[in-house]
Amino acid sequence: MKLSRLLVIVAVLSLVAVACGGGGGGTPEECEADEFGCVTVAAGEPIKIGTLLVITGENQTLGLDSQAGAELAVDYWGDNAFDGTVGQIAGHDIELVNEDEGCSAEGGTAGAQRLVTDTQIVAVIGTSCSSAALGVADKIFGDQGIPLVSPSNTSPALTNPGTHNPFYLRTAHNDTIQGAVVAEFASQELGAASAATIHDGSPYAEGLANAFAAAFEEAGGTITDQVSIQTGESDYSSILTDLATGGPELLYYPIFVAEGGLITQQAVENGSFTYLAGSDGMFTPDWIAAAGAENADGVYISGPDLSQLAGDADFYENEFLPAYNETYGEPTSVFHAHSFDAVNIVLTAIEAVAIEDGDTLHIPRTALKDALFATENFPGLTGTLSCNENGDCQQSATIGVVTVENGDFSDYVYSATKGLEG
Amino acid sequence: MRQPQAVRAGLIGGAVVLYLGAVGMLERFSERSIIVGLIRFNLVVMMAAFFVFALFAYRRATGEANTSLGTGITAGTVAGVTTGVVVIILSLLVDAGVDVRSMFLRISPAFFEAITLGTNPYLGLVILAVIGAVMGAAAGGFRRLQPTPRTIVITVVGTVLLLGLGARLFIPMLQGLGIPTAWLYRSDALTILGAVIVSVLAVVIRLYLQRKGGFRKALTEVPGVTPSNVRPILFALGAIAVLAAPWIGKQFVADVLGTVGLYILLGLGLNIVVGYAGLLDLGYVAFFAVGAYTVALLTARSSSMVGATIFDLAPEPLTNFWVALPITLVVAVVIGILIGAPVLRLRGDYLAIVTLGFGEIIRVLILSDWLKPIFGGPQGITEVADVPAFGADTNDPRVLYYLIIAFALISLFIAGRLKNSRVGRAWAAMREDEDIAEGMGVSVIKYKLLAFAMGAAVGCLGGAFFPAKLGVANPGSFTLLVSINVLAVVVLGGMGSIPGVIVGSAILVGLPELLREFGEYRLHIYGAILVMIMILKPEGLIPDRRRALELHAEEPHESVGPLTAAATPGVQ
Amino acid sequence: MTTSARRSSLGIFSRLPVRRIVLIVLGVIITVAAIAGARATLATGQYSGRVWQDLFVQGLARGSVYALIALGYTLVYGILLIINFAHGEVFMAGAFTTLFLAGYLSSSGFMASQPVLSLLIMLAFSALVSMGVALLLERIAYRPLRGAPRLVPLITAIGASLFLQYTFRGFYGEQVRAYPNIPGLTGDWNIFGISIDRPRVVVIGAAILIWSSLYVFIERTKTGRAMRAVGEDREIASLMGIDVDRVIVITFAIGGALAGMAGILFILLFNQASFDMGFVPGLKAFTAAVLGGIGSITGAALGGLVLGLIEAVGPILFLSGAGIPSVGQLTSVVSFTILVLVLIFLPGGFLGAPEEKRA
Repeated sequence: MKLSRLLVIVAVLSLVAVACGGGGGGTPEECEADEFGCVTVAAGEPIKIGTLLVITGENQTLGLDSQAGAELAVDYWGDNAFDGTVGQIAGHDIELVNEDEGCSAEGGTAGAQRLVTDTQIVAVIGTSCSSAALGVADKIFGDQGIPLVSPSNTSPALTNPGTHNPFYLRTAHNDTIQGAVVAEFASQELGAASAATIHDGSPYAEGLANAFAAAFEEAGGTITDQVSIQTGESDYSSILTDLATGGPELLYYPIFVAEGGLITQQAVENGSFTYLAGSDGMFTPDWIAAAGAENADGVYISGPDLSQLAGDADFYENEFLPAYNETYGEPTSVFHAHSFDAVNIVLTAIEAVAIEDGDTLHIPRTALKDALFATENFPGLTGTLSCNENGDCQQSATIGVVTVENGDFSDYVYSATKGLEG
Repeated sequence: MRQPQAVRAGLIGGAVVLYLGAVGMLERFSERSIIVGLIRFNLVVMMAAFFVFALFAYRRATGEANTSLGTGITAGTVAGVTTGVVVIILSLLVDAGVDVRSMFLRISPAFFEAITLGTNPYLGLVILAVIGAVMGAAAGGFRRLQPTPRTIVITVVGTVLLLGLGARLFIPMLQGLGIPTAWLYRSDALTILGAVIVSVLAVVIRLYLQRKGGFRKALTEVPGVTPSNVRPILFALGAIAVLAAPWIGKQFVADVLGTVGLYILLGLGLNIVVGYAGLLDLGYVAFFAVGAYTVALLTARSSSMVGATIFDLAPEPLTNFWVALPITLVVAVVIGILIGAPVLRLRGDYLAIVTLGFGEIIRVLILSDWLKPIFGGPQGITEVADVPAFGADTNDPRVLYYLIIAFALISLFIAGRLKNSRVGRAWAAMREDEDIAEGMGVSVIKYKLLAFAMGAAVGCLGGAFFPAKLGVANPGSFTLLVSINVLAVVVLGGMGSIPGVIVGSAILVGLPELLREFGEYRLHIYGAILVMIMILKPEGLIPDRRRALELHAEEPHESVGPLTAAATPGVQ
Repeated sequence: MTTSARRSSLGIFSRLPVRRIVLIVLGVIITVAAIAGARATLATGQYSGRVWQDLFVQGLARGSVYALIALGYTLVYGILLIINFAHGEVFMAGAFTTLFLAGYLSSSGFMASQPVLSLLIMLAFSALVSMGVALLLERIAYRPLRGAPRLVPLITAIGASLFLQYTFRGFYGEQVRAYPNIPGLTGDWNIFGISIDRPRVVVIGAAILIWSSLYVFIERTKTGRAMRAVGEDREIASLMGIDVDRVIVITFAIGGALAGMAGILFILLFNQASFDMGFVPGLKAFTAAVLGGIGSITGAALGGLVLGLIEAVGPILFLSGAGIPSVGQLTSVVSFTILVLVLIFLPGGFLGAPEEKRA
């Protein structure tokens, strides 16, 4: 009885709303034709680009670094100078709308939901962590026709043909590359014959651990054990004791700051592992602080090799980094250049597809996505970017390995460039 | 006699302001303007602290000091000076090269700027002392005010704070109604002119209503409204407001209201367990998770689901939301009974810890590698189908909002009926004294189980909408903090009180959505609210009358009389 | 109101035998599964005696820390009958704050020249900080609630726990930070032919020492007797001239100091401090106190050790043989399951009074 009355009221209200809402006029036919329509930027309004990065919590150094890269890109756009002036497209300011993704599926969902409530968002730079994107943010944005371009997601699953969302791209390398380089380093440089891996169940850690294991076995090594841990525990010593029973020479744990620090410390204490190695999730001074400098010494960490930038190294060293240092201090992670590139391919694509209508700008969404996927030989900071149909824009990447000396990351002790295919 | 009390209150007040600075709140709050160019939120908070502790000084003062303005001025000034002096000491330490920030991270330049209102520490001391003295005097003056001026002051302060803090809700709503907002708001804060206009308007309306003897009476002067139909008309107005809310303004409004609705559902469920039956369940999130995961498993398209994993079916949804819902209810009730049956004989505080343990077990199992083929591990279950409603599959937050509101209404109705039923009376008897209740023939175990099962059913309803709303169910959404959030909602509103749950959700869930700057302090503030409510007003903001009596049962009998009288108007 | 005529379908649960049988069947199933799991694990032969030995020592060390924290819960519960849910945060406050003292001691070179003295200073400092927090907690949050229904202080404690966590997060930041290594505490010591990590030896030894001192204090001193008297019956104790307020304050102070010292021992084992470090150990320590029988000092020690051992050995012993992957993830499942089983079959814990108050 009550419910039916409610339904009637709802129906009447929706009719009213539809009647009121249908009054817009004068949209170009490209917008009518586009499945997701256009973002229409009125005169004097900014073009809004969202960012969905991890900017709070224990992994914030990763996201804040990328956010800095994005802000610098907006600054540099148009006038080709780091002068603090916001870039413009067709007289419209470019505005970044920043949200947090908390480095988790739940955080990515919440952040993406908040961004899509703003229908003016044209594209989103993010996420930092693969867990915030896979099946979560990529789907939420994809459903609204908003391209998501990640500067630091590296999980292979995100660009796997079976799980790739059509609106998802990334300027970060695919971890099949990083896993292969770490395996090559472990078996050839260190001469390790056996290894065990630990991951925390996140797509990033699991993907990397599996990529490493596959490449390591291919190189003739033995994987003694692969386990997954629960984040947020205060003691992993019995897990390490268990792993040590297999007698691996190398322990590879490509996880994040807090658990990475604790496992480093407990693995050193355990003493059964000859080599310890982690990856870019731990490539931040915060991890050294969490592990303790004495324990972190000698641990190998892999990540994109910024000293071997395939792009304009001179520009990076002499213009980009000084500008970064001036505003944000020392970089706290290694993905600011990828973020700079991500913003640039997005802005380039917007410029290519935007339709000027007097002072108003129409940006058809599907056309924007297609333009992004058509990116070919784009001269980026991290190299030449060409996006394939699965959203991988780095067709090859240089991965470097550093170690920790006296509580500080060393120079690269190993570096190799590999392509996406094999 | 009056000085030591006032000085003591002042010292505590100063310490509180310094604390707020040291944890970084003032710095964060200073990002939010209430009135453009005039008042930022950090100033509001500091003024409020000085005011409250000046009032506190009066509460402790006796005799002449209880009425003298001097008491408040002393307390306020002491609070201001304490703050200022410590700030000067800190700034001297920083100047001397002591790395204060290596320990206290928030003693940053922004801290000094927020606490000295953008001046330097020395000028800051003077300003803080003056503000303290003024607020102290205001506290003293406020106590002496006649009712009418007092109403005016409260109305003005309340209106400005409500409109200022709620800017993000009101701007899209006003725009949705076609009302221009430029005169009232500039970049999420009130303009000076706007603040004056709305304050005057609010005062005029308030005084007019007061003269007419209340809102209802005033309403009867409108033609066609009589005392006999005023209730239905009010009800209809309320219903229209609730139904129209998501259409006014943007998606954002519907999103916020939907979340509030979800917590109303959860709160109603927990209220049955904690408020009615007096069982503290700290693992309430388990039912939320059961609801969410059951719906997700039954309606998800992704491969990590029962159908694909166990029965080796193609990754297609097993069924739709409306079929999944009753299944979910049954599952939740069964799990509620399974969890409840072994532990209900335990003493109350053991029950709390065991339920907490169950909540953790469920969370860890969902996250584990072992059950990953079914629950999807940390990534959870993705691609949950949208709710088919009104002839279309939709994830429009407005539709979900209506569904959530509809279920909240049904739960409200059930909760209301239960409370005054035979079952409700049995719960009340059990809550007050189990042994006596048992002696009177109330089957304690049966009624405890019933409470658990009812609570589980309502909680899982809330859970069921969660994946439908987000499109995913992941374990990060089902931490102990959710249990505590819901508990805070119930406790703030008043245990056992149904309107309390609504008010609690609006304040604890709705407000933080609007005040995004304060997100990182949300749990900090929740903690403080739980403690303060329990100490100052354990019956909550909108007390349930019977529960209020119980919670004060240990106090001398005389105090029960006035308390009942005070509690009655809130209950209506 | 007579319910005899109104028994509904749920009525079977109120007839004890049925419930009892269901529970016993449940217990038997879990026990059989555990034994089968253990047999399967041992049959694989993957784990040598050395591994079990290592796990045992790890469990003992972890359990010692639980035991010391559990004492704080037990002392307060024994006297006030409230669960001081914020006790884990008292523990965190001492350990986290001492980080800065340790950093200073380390960078000034004092720790290198005087490691033992440094450790004692850290223990004392941490105990003082935790004691201070515990006393503030008692004064502000619990004293106004004396005599209130039991739900009220419990909710207060949950609020206080959140509030303290986020206060320290506000003060010191949200990053996880490592303690400096204490010189002389790396490597192994050989004890009875077994080589054991030095920090574990220190932790177990210190815990035994601290626990024994407390035991003597409670049993032999006048204040200790007063504490027991207040625990027995607060009103009678006060009639006999015991200052109940003072005893309660002393109880919180002792519990706080123990938590502070446990914090430093925890640091010796795990080397990291953060604002949320107290929550999980606090929860586990409470579980330990309940396991041992809340209110009993010996029970807290026993419960702590048992829980520590179960957590270290249990997942591998019971689960890995059953082919479950990554059993290390399921530690909490094992410990909470044990808690539930103990409460069902031994409602008073190992050493507590059986069924102190029915229902």
